Amino acid sequence: MSTISQFALLFIGGALINNILLTRFIGLCPFFGVSGNMETSMGMSLAVVFVMMMASTATWVVWEFVLAPLGVGEFLYIPAFILIIASLVQFVEMYLRKASPVLYRAMGIFLPLITTNCAVLATATEAAKPGFFKLNIPVGASLSLGQALIYTLGVSIGFGFALITFAALRERLELAAVPRAFKGSPIAFITAGLLSLAYVGFSGWFGL
Amino acid sequence: MDLVLIAKAVGALSLIGLITSAVLSTAAKKFHVEVDPRVGAVVGALPGSNCGACGRPSCFAVAEGIVAGDVPPNACVAGGQSVADAVAAIMGAAACEMASVICARGCGGGDKAVRVYDYAGVPSCAAANRLAGGPLACAWGCIGFADCERACPFDAISMDARGLPVIDPVKCTGCGICVRECPRGHLTLLELVPEAAPIVMRCNARDKVKARRANCTACCIACKKCERECPHDAIHVIDMLAVVDYEKCTGCGACVEVCPQKCIDFYGHRPGVDAVAADGVGPDVETPANVAQEA
Repeated sequence: MSTISQFALLFIGGALINNILLTRFIGLCPFFGVSGNMETSMGMSLAVVFVMMMASTATWVVWEFVLAPLGVGEFLYIPAFILIIASLVQFVEMYLRKASPVLYRAMGIFLPLITTNCAVLATATEAAKPGFFKLNIPVGASLSLGQALIYTLGVSIGFGFALITFAALRERLELAAVPRAFKGSPIAFITAGLLSLAYVGFSGWFGL
Repeated sequence: MDLVLIAKAVGALSLIGLITSAVLSTAAKKFHVEVDPRVGAVVGALPGSNCGACGRPSCFAVAEGIVAGDVPPNACVAGGQSVADAVAAIMGAAACEMASVICARGCGGGDKAVRVYDYAGVPSCAAANRLAGGPLACAWGCIGFADCERACPFDAISMDARGLPVIDPVKCTGCGICVRECPRGHLTLLELVPEAAPIVMRCNARDKVKARRANCTACCIACKKCERECPHDAIHVIDMLAVVDYEKCTGCGACVEVCPQKCIDFYGHRPGVDAVAADGVGPDVETPANVAQEA
């Protein structure tokens, strides 16, 4: 399989077929927590793309050069990755504050909030140490750094796409004539379920 | 026990920890942002409770805003006039007037309000409100799970036996956090009124009077007795709900006495109105000052 088509499959596999929110059900707290309005969900999506890309790079490097060679990765990867991601986000926050106050303000509260987000941890882990999501892509047991980054980009964009879609739906629901018994969270859960059903429809594309 | 493996694991984690802490401490120095010394002074003048009433996440953030000139020196809602003066002095700006407001509860339902279902979920108003609009039949009433009490950074709200929040007018700074935290705050269940306001309405329902009466025995029935009785033309029934005009109200209490539903109330426990306190509509709170006056 050519490199380009492998990259394309990794991207689509991460973004749509294995959508982290709607078919893997990881990171559901922001999915319901910040999807109340469009603006916050966009800020969150931007921050997630940003943090996931960096986190995957860092965990991939640590896995490849520290954890795997020492043979301690299998049981140490979760604490190690949490440590790395948390300090990385702190570092980036400091850097952004100095270098780009505009970007710092745009991401605002979301940067520190997603330090310990499970979606970020899951994606960074999957990029460094594939296996959990059982991606049916013939790329071997581990991803190269380029593949890991493309995969992470796919996942984070899939996250943003699902979150923004859901926020748009919920903004519409605010105005819809919902029966009283379903008002509020119940109709949001039902909507999320239907949206998830729609995403299941992607499975099987390109043999993924 | 595989001691080598343990040593490797400890070594790997320590190595990662050491490197990240070294990077972070270097970064903290290298990317240190020079802060205007006035920011520190303004932070010192602010209450420091990080209540967020000004719309900024922390006192530090609003101090930065004040120094940068983005927000006026009287941005601190909770601090009131004294803090505004102190901040204005640091900034060298002219002192600004603060509109002094205080929080009032616009519902007297509590145990008099009809429940349509038993709520057994997380004891939080926000959660209950999301489930079919809350257990109360009245869409405007107080759900009574004390979200406001938990949100209040100044410890001014407590829940009474009726399941309604009572607000200590001495501790309340009028920051408006409870109004934002209350899932029905936008419906004026809690609202900010002038600090001198002597009279508050304990009903804010805006459905039809017939439906309202079925939902709660403490609701405004739009009988207009208060409107007729008021000597200062300060209370009017607007859209089937009595509304106090604080520009004109003197707090004489004519409306309180005449209200058949006891849903017009004095703010706090004012002297000479013990009948109201005994009636079950209740004083807003017993403050040391009020108790002293009573004695």
